[in-house]
Amino acid sequence: MANHNWTRSMATILILVVWTFLAGLLFATPVQAGETTDYCLGCHGNPDLQMTLPSGETLPLYISAEALDVSVHNQVGIECNACHTEIQTYPHPDLEYQNKRELARALYQSCQKCHSDNYDKALDSMHTQVAQAGNLDAPICTDCHGAHDVQDPDQPRAHVSTICGQCHTAIFAEYRQSVHGGELIELSNPDVPVCTDCHGVHNIQDPRTEQFRVHSPDLCARCHADPELMAKYNLPSNVYELYELSWHGVDVSVYKARWPTIWHNSAVCTDCHGIHNIRKTEDPDSLVNERNLLQTCQKCHPNAGPNWTGAWTGHHEVSLQRTPFIFYTQAFYASFAPFVLGVSLIYVILQIIRSTVERARRGLR
Amino acid sequence: MSATPNHTANKRIGIVRIFQRFTVGQRWEHLLALLSITVLLLTGLPQKYRLATWSHNLLSTPERLQFVQQVHRIAAIVLTLEVIYHLANAFYLLARRNLPGDMLPTLKDLKDAWQMVKYLTFFSNKKPLFGKYNFEQKFTYWFMFIAIGIMVVTGFIIWFPEFFNRLLPGGIIPAAKLAHSTEAIVIGIFVFIWHVYHVHIERLNLSIFTGWLNENDMHTYHELEYQHLTGESSETSDQGESQ
Repeated sequence: MANHNWTRSMATILILVVWTFLAGLLFATPVQAGETTDYCLGCHGNPDLQMTLPSGETLPLYISAEALDVSVHNQVGIECNACHTEIQTYPHPDLEYQNKRELARALYQSCQKCHSDNYDKALDSMHTQVAQAGNLDAPICTDCHGAHDVQDPDQPRAHVSTICGQCHTAIFAEYRQSVHGGELIELSNPDVPVCTDCHGVHNIQDPRTEQFRVHSPDLCARCHADPELMAKYNLPSNVYELYELSWHGVDVSVYKARWPTIWHNSAVCTDCHGIHNIRKTEDPDSLVNERNLLQTCQKCHPNAGPNWTGAWTGHHEVSLQRTPFIFYTQAFYASFAPFVLGVSLIYVILQIIRSTVERARRGLR
Repeated sequence: MSATPNHTANKRIGIVRIFQRFTVGQRWEHLLALLSITVLLLTGLPQKYRLATWSHNLLSTPERLQFVQQVHRIAAIVLTLEVIYHLANAFYLLARRNLPGDMLPTLKDLKDAWQMVKYLTFFSNKKPLFGKYNFEQKFTYWFMFIAIGIMVVTGFIIWFPEFFNRLLPGGIIPAAKLAHSTEAIVIGIFVFIWHVYHVHIERLNLSIFTGWLNENDMHTYHELEYQHLTGESSETSDQGESQ
């Protein structure tokens, strides 16, 4: 009997433990998750909550629930203390930061907990170099992605360039006027490049270096050598190929292959077409429009006269209409020169045969 | 060696008459042209084929490229001076009614060429008789004359494009570059198959360096000139090479 009672109480305990475990599985995690954010918003949901930092700056401590709602992190259940690791409960430890920037630069370290690859890439970027050189305004993760309202950065795609434009205002204004920027901002065209397509995303490099310059035509070629994409806009896709055969292009190819770290002056795409201000060739404001082409050439060829632009074959195949001089030169060397050389060769071969026969005859005599 | 009929020395000593073929000036001109064209070709080819690996290896630094370009330009100036001298000398001689017309193409050259083709294709056993310069040599001269002309003109156009662009339509410049680059190869091939065969393989003809040709060669290759100079006729002339 005693034995029977003991078995029953053991079974009861076991059932209780299993139930508690199952109940915990069902309710414990979500309830606790909701609780953390709610717990924090209990104070930080107050729009007036703020504090003054030693620098005298006011640090708003209000977190809007609406902002949190759109955050990709909140949507997957990542909560306040995932990033604010130093805070476990209330009261919080004292803030040791002098100003807001210092605080931001300290707190963004949390990003690397999950996004270590992009965090490391960013460490190799121009932005980090600038920060190391002492400019603490250089962007960190949260400057571009936001902090409490992190969303997909390329939704919509134009958002990417708008973010860069927050600091790079002059370039962004120029870019907006360009054929690429205009299509992006006004028409949300998915084919045109946003800033990051050329500059890279997290490991953005200094675009003023020799390497960037010598490789820059490849950036343009990613789209402008794509026949499908170019056909869509009625643009030729052989411009890069023809450029590579040109005086400028050959020089650039050699530097790219051999001396990528040595500065070269041969024109790359952007030297003539512009960088952020690229316009359609037929646009009268385009640097390569016939109205401005000579001036553009004169940037490197200061003594170029009015005939100079006629020397430019303009990424076109040789044709009688457009480039008659090259056309006829090419025709000459494709016909007359091989003919003369061929006749000479045949003549010499006949001479060799005849003199060999002659010598053989003399030997037999 | 064929000795002259009136020799008196013993049989082991032959006296060979030699004929002046080129003046000292002409020999120097040829030497300058030979050297400068060789240097131009050697420094030009790596520039033409800059994308090839062997060219990369030669022009391994931007300084080397510059050096090769400088050498090319110096050689170009030498060749240009030679061309100017050649033309000026020709005009000077012309003005003094003293320009030898041996190098000018004549109707006889066409006939000779036709006869030579018949000979080479076994339709005839007779070689034509030649004067001071045969049609092959005239062809060499005029081919090189025109080719060097093209190279000098196009070379200066692409050396000073901004200057020439003020005088000429723009399209000339890329055309000049194409012509310069292609003509160089044409010259190289022509000299290799035509000139090298005729002066080294067919027979070793060093007269452009020594200035003279011996009597035997005069008989064989320039019978008409031989007759013109000596007033004698050679009995073997119509047999050409067969001595």
